[in-house]
Order: sequence, then structure tokens, then C-alpha cells
Amino acid sequence: MNDLLVMAQIASRRCAMHAQDVESVIEIGTVTPVPRAPAFISGITAMRSQALTVIDCRRAMGFDPGQFALDHRAIVVAVAGYSYALRIDMIEDITTGSGDPAPVPGGFGTEWSRVARGLIETRVGPALLLDLPALIAGPDALGAAA
Amino acid sequence: MDELLADFVAETREMLEASAGEIVAWEADPTDRARLDTIFRFVHTVKGNCGFFDLPRLAALSHAAEDALADCRSERRTADAALVTAVLAVIDRIVAMVDAIEAGETFPEGDDEDLIAALEEGAQPITAAPQIETADSDTVVDDEQTGVARKPDGPLAQRSIRLPVDLLDRVMSGVSDMVLARNDLAHRLREAGTQPTIDGPFERLTTILSDVRDAITRMRMQRMETLFSAMPRLVRDLSNDLGKQVMIDLEGGDVELDREMIEMVRDPLTHIIRNAIDHGFETPSDRLKAGKREIGLLSISARQSGNTISIVVSDDGRGLDHDKIAAKAETTGLITSAQRQKMSRDALLQLIFEPGFSTADQVSNVSGRGVGLDVVQDNLERIGGSIQVSSTVGVGTLFTLQIPLTLSIIAGLTVETSDQRFAIPQSYVEEIIHASSKVLDFTRAGEKALVTFRGERIPAVRLAEVLGLPDDQLADGEHTKVVIRLASGDLFALGVDSIHSHGDLVVKPLAPAIMKNRLYAGSTLLEDGQPVLLLDVTSIAGQYELVSDARNRRLRTHETGTEDEQGAASRAMLFTDFAGRRCAVRLELVRRIETTPASAIDLSGPRPRVVIEGVILPLIGLPDGSVPSEKVRLLRLSDGSSELLHAVREVDDAALLTDTLKPVPDDPEVEAVTLVDGKTVTLLNGHELFARHGEVQQSQDRPVCRLPETDWAKTILAPLVETAGYDIAADADAREDIAIWFDDEYEAALALDMQFETPVIRLRNVPDAAGTSDTVYRYDRDGLIEALAKARKRKAS
Repeated sequence: MNDLLVMAQIASRRCAMHAQDVESVIEIGTVTPVPRAPAFISGITAMRSQALTVIDCRRAMGFDPGQFALDHRAIVVAVAGYSYALRIDMIEDITTGSGDPAPVPGGFGTEWSRVARGLIETRVGPALLLDLPALIAGPDALGAAA
Repeated sequence: MDELLADFVAETREMLEASAGEIVAWEADPTDRARLDTIFRFVHTVKGNCGFFDLPRLAALSHAAEDALADCRSERRTADAALVTAVLAVIDRIVAMVDAIEAGETFPEGDDEDLIAALEEGAQPITAAPQIETADSDTVVDDEQTGVARKPDGPLAQRSIRLPVDLLDRVMSGVSDMVLARNDLAHRLREAGTQPTIDGPFERLTTILSDVRDAITRMRMQRMETLFSAMPRLVRDLSNDLGKQVMIDLEGGDVELDREMIEMVRDPLTHIIRNAIDHGFETPSDRLKAGKREIGLLSISARQSGNTISIVVSDDGRGLDHDKIAAKAETTGLITSAQRQKMSRDALLQLIFEPGFSTADQVSNVSGRGVGLDVVQDNLERIGGSIQVSSTVGVGTLFTLQIPLTLSIIAGLTVETSDQRFAIPQSYVEEIIHASSKVLDFTRAGEKALVTFRGERIPAVRLAEVLGLPDDQLADGEHTKVVIRLASGDLFALGVDSIHSHGDLVVKPLAPAIMKNRLYAGSTLLEDGQPVLLLDVTSIAGQYELVSDARNRRLRTHETGTEDEQGAASRAMLFTDFAGRRCAVRLELVRRIETTPASAIDLSGPRPRVVIEGVILPLIGLPDGSVPSEKVRLLRLSDGSSELLHAVREVDDAALLTDTLKPVPDDPEVEAVTLVDGKTVTLLNGHELFARHGEVQQSQDRPVCRLPETDWAKTILAPLVETAGYDIAADADAREDIAIWFDDEYEAALALDMQFETPVIRLRNVPDAAGTSDTVYRYDRDGLIEALAKARKRKAS
């Protein structure tokens, strides 16, 4: 599998998502907060005439975003018909992956295992391939399901 | 048409609709076994059903097609293009015949041998799907490929095409985006000031866009027929199961509804029909005993009224037994017996929509499936609809469902709390009460906040509290209250910091993670592109238990005209005049906003005038008769016949006059003062403006002034008096309201004991006249005008 991957830093770790899932990368403008929404939802923002749900990926995984840098750009992805703007530490590059995502013995750690589909080798080194629906479900998804 | 035959027609239609796609797919790939099976089942069923009726041609056709298809199924024959065409031709013919049966027409005599022969293996393929001979122009096959033919209502068939739904959705969202882009542009244009060269085309764009939007909205519409088509079958099956005889009468199949709505309504409607047949109708023998016809009548009718569709489901069954309902409600603890005493029959009937209520003594397999009418009500309220019931014992029951026309574009109000804006669907807004108004009467009962609205205490809740936003500094009673009327008829007040604007909002769905907290119904973009959240007021009310429970739920009066109530708040154009006053004129009077160069303003006359588009119009509002700047902004006011211009320092915005209008009796040019966004605004009296300054002569309204019979009076005084708003008395016999006399002549007349029936203004010939202060110097223009105005006021009072 030689897919195009968008590389990003989330919580100081290198992550990858399939370029086909990524609609665009936008400069993040004003984010309207959504009262009483889960904390990992930063709010909504406008992209052209569309309203995007802004997700802080660090929070969505269970990290404290205060400890990491924040890119002024966001990655726009579509999951189940809705568009989300993902806030991350930094957008790195677009590259090609080689091989299929593979599990790592012992897992990636609690926060990461939930949102990762596996380790993928890329031209710039190994990265965690993200499971976008799991990421967007937020940190409480497991607890809620249980 | 007898009932069975109607069923046959309905069933054939239904199957055709269901298999329409299959037929097309089969045509594309004749070897597709699954499609073949579907089509085989269709002709097989038609053939079987024909056996009950005297329809030999139909039977022969379907039989032939069945044979051919059976051969394919058993692989004695391979389906090829020729066969497909032949079978399609047969299906088309069946459709045409079914149409004719339904219309009660006789299908034109003819022979189906050609079609049957074409089904034979090795037959000459039919080059094209044969033209269906039609009985007359109103039996039309609108799409020969799918074979879905509808008999149009009118004698003229509308041409129609089929489109994939997602293409429609794309167009729809494209138009929504255009509306947003237009709003954005409007905002920028307003900021940039009036630019006549741009404003005109922009207005046109706006008009076109709203037309297109209407058309697109209609494109999404589906006829109620699609919903109705399954009903006869449902009723037949249910009544058979339950040993009842029920006839269904459908009306308003041509009423159109957003197809999303159709889906939303399907379940509630089915539920009500189930209930009616299960509980509503008596058994045939009971009906006979009660002196009714053996066969019950269930009628469903759909009607569009304004922005809502009402669907009425009525049965002529036994009606609802309010005693039974009350007893049930008491045992389940919905009401107490004391409350029960006070409740009207109507109020008791509405209890059936309460959660956990079900009247069936025994749960049958038809309606007692654990889903109650409360779910029906919930589902309807979620889409902004409502349901009511009325019933007469022994006569029948009537359910009224109200559904909004469309989900995606709604009129909304933008409010602000804790520095954040939110939108509320306008249809829920009953009234806006500004904080300062005395009518509010804010009180607390325990933890519950209450306000008095139209003499009734209603619960109040602060939006900031609902949303968990940081508290603002305002005291409890100081919030602007938006009084919300829920579909159930319940009222509650939502406290916000301020009201912003209202307009059409294009509602976009929100991500499920946000929807989960059930506070928001969607998001929308404001004119400046800022996204705002649309509040789900029904759900908020539910979470805060603001919906009154069964005890004091009031029946919402039929079709409460929310639109009328919105209309009660009139709109006005806000502006700042040159005295720095915040003023407003009613929006109906404002024709345009003009910007004019100072050179177009003529100050030489008694009253300022301005030339706009080659027309000389009166101008008011200038500071002390001088032109303040190179360019002047003007509001062009019109009362329909005459026009005048009002110079303004700044045009602010259009606003809703929601607050109380306080009349100002001592200034006729001011209609009232009121509050807009918490600041006082002087509302100019349009009537008075036009009465005083309007251009059109209103001679019957103008007072008549008699002048002295001199040349000086005719040439010099008369024009002045005329511009002051008087007509000149034409001759000695004419009616007069006021007279101007030269003081010396007046003295003489007085000496002759002449009676003066009207007020008199006396003119003197010398500028200074000590002691004779009730005379006016003949060249004292201002003094004269003042005297005339005073005399007129005296007359008016």
C-alpha cells in the first residue's frame, strides 16, 4: 500500500492520516465556542459557507493541550458526512506510506491505542496511522460505550 | 370503483414503485437473476390478482410475461435485450390499464397480441418501447423506462424528469451558500455606504436569489401521495387482523412536503392509524348496534396553510373516553384526583400524549408495542411540529398534526448572552420583552424564576445558565426576555443580554458529538460569516422542566397565528439626525436611502428642497437650514402618493420595534419614544411629516386663509401663506379657517361691530409697534408663519 499520507505532530508524536480523508488545510479563523459541548470540541468555525466542528486532537486523546504547540492551521476531515477541523501541534508534510499499518507489541499506550490503527512506515520514518472516527468520538467514547 | 379493485390498483402501484429501480437495473443487465426475480414476482402477483376481477386483457398480458420470465428463471431461455424490451412494453401496458381502471375509464379497445407475440422466443424485437395508446390526454406515461406512470390531476400532464436526490441536495446547499454569500455582501455594502450603481444590481440579485430559493425549496418537495400510497394497504391488513371493517379516505395527496419531513411524519402517522383501528373503531356488530354503518371511515387529509402543513386523521369510531383516560392517568400518577376535578374534557384528552400512557386494556399485537403517543409527540416536536386530539364520545376522534414546511431555511432571531450569539427559530418567539419594561414583574418562587406575561406567571430561565456560560453582571430582572411559545402551547421566558437581528437563517447540521447535549438544533452563519448555534428551545425547555406537566398543560388554540404576532412588532429604520438624536421612521415609509451632493440642495426657498433624479422634493431634517457637508445622506420617504426627504447624519439599521411605544403628546412630529437595544429612540410621526411637508396638495385638508383684497396680499402674502400650509380663500363667500387683516382695517371693522368667526392675524405697517404685540409686521415672515402655525394649532386643539 503506497498511500499519500498527511503527517502531523499531535501531542509531540508523529501521526499520519490518509490524504483521501483530508479535505483541505485551513487557516483557523474565529472559533465560536459551543457551550456545554465536550471539552475536546473547541467550537465551530466557518469554512466558506460551511460550519466545521473544531476538534482539539490533543484533548480528544486525553492530553493537556497546554503542554504543546498549536498550529494556526487545521486539517479538515470528513467523517460520516460531517466536516471537522482538527487542531494539532503542527502540520508536517505530505508523504507516501509504505506497507500496511501494523500493531506494535504492547500497544501504543492507553491514549494512543484507542485512536491509532497501527504503525505505518513512511518515507520520513514511522508514524501512527490515526483512526479518525475514533479520534473524533473523543476521550469518553470508550467509557460511554462501556 | 369498488374497494377491492381500489386495493388492487394501490397494490400494483406500490409494487411498481418498489420495483421501479429494479426494472431499470434489469434492463442494464438482463442476466441479473435477482432483478429477474423481482420482476417475475411483479407480473406474477398482477396475474394472480387479476383472477379476482374481470380483467381478461390484464390477465393475459401478465400471464404471457410470467411465462416468458419463468422460462428464464428455469434457464430454458436466456434473457436478452429483446425480451427485456418486450417485458417492459408489457409492464407499460399494465400501468396504462391500471391507470384507466383507477380513473374509471374504459381502456381503448385493442389487441395485446403484438406485445404477447414479442415475448415469444426468437420474435422480432420491438425496436422501441411501443407507444401506449392512451384513452385520452390525461392518461400519461411520464417515464417509459421505469414504468412508473402517474395519472396527473389536471388534464395537462406536467413534464417531469427523475433526478438523483443527492444532486438535488447539492443544488439546494449551493443555493443556501449563495444566500449566505449574499448576506455577507449585503453586510459589506451596508458598511461601505450607499452606492447607487451597485445597490440596484444587488437588489436584483436579491430578488432573483429569493425566487431561485423558492423554486429549489419546491424541488425538494414531495407529494403527500408518496406517504398516502401505503396507507390503504396498511388499513386493510390491520382491519382484517382485528376483525374490523374500515374504509380509508385520503385527501390532499397533492399537498407537497419537504421529503425529509415526509420521512419524519411517516412513523407518527402510521402509529395514529394503528391506534385508530385498534382502539378507535368498534367491531362491525357494535357499530350496527350504535346505529352506525358497519364499515368505519378513517379519513386522512393534508392541507397546507401558510408555512405549515396540517394533517388531520379522523375516525368515526367510539371516540375517546375521558373518564377512562382520567382514571388511567390517576392510577399511573400523572394527575391527582383533585386535579382531575378541575380539568376539562379537552385537557383530559391531551393526557394521552403524556409519557407512559396507554389506554388499551390489553396490549394487542397491533398498537401496544411499547411505543406510545408521547413518542409521536416527541418526534413531531423535534421537527417543530405539534399534535392535538379532539374527540366526541360515540362520534369519533380527530388528530391534528401540524408540521412546518421545511427544515433547512428558517426565520430566526439572533440573541446575545455572555458575549456570544445564538439563534432562536422565529416561529417559537412569542414576544420580546425588554428589560426596562415594567410589564416584566420578575419574581422568584423558591428556586424558580417567574415573570408575568399577559397576566400569567411563566417560568423564566437565563440562557447563560442553560449553557453554563460565565455569569454576566446583570441582575435577575434586567435581562431582555424572549418569550418562547412551544408547540405544546407552553410559554417560558429566556433571559438574554440583548437581541440582535432577525432574518432568514440557513440551518446546517451539527456534528453528532455536539448534538448529543440536546441544546442545539444546528448551526447557521451570520451575515459576517460568523457561525452561530441555533438553540433547540423545545429540548432546552424539556431539560429544564419548563414544559408544564399534564396538570396545567393548556390546549394550544387551533393554528395559533404566530405570523400575526410577529407582524404586530413593526419595523423601523433607525438613524441619527443632525441634532444627534437617535430617531426612527417606520420602515414602510422608507423608499430608499439617497446620498446627494450639497449642490443639489436648494436653500433659497422658504423650505429646503432637493433635486433627486430630476424631481424637486421637499427636504427636512437639515440643521437650521444649512447644508452640513459636501454630501448628505437622505432617507427618501413616501406615503404612496407624495414623497419627501429627511436628511440624516447617519443611517443605522432597520430594527424591530418590540418595546412599548410611549406617545409624546407635545410634539406632533414625534409619534412616540421607544427603546431599541436598550437605548431611547424617537419614532417620527410619519403622518405629521407628510401632512406638513408632503408635496401632494391635499386641498380638502388644508385650512383656508382669507387675505386682504390688495395686490400686495395677492402677490407677496399669498405665496407665503400657501407654503405655510394654507389655501387662499377664493372669493368672499368661501369658507375660511383664518383671516389676515391689515390692522387699520381690522380696527375699522371692529368699530363697525363686525363679527369675526375665525381667528384673525393682524398685520401692521411699521416694524416696531410698542403695545400692539398681537399684531405682526407685514414683512416679518417668521412672525407671520408662527402666527399661522399658532392659529392652526389653536384650531386643532
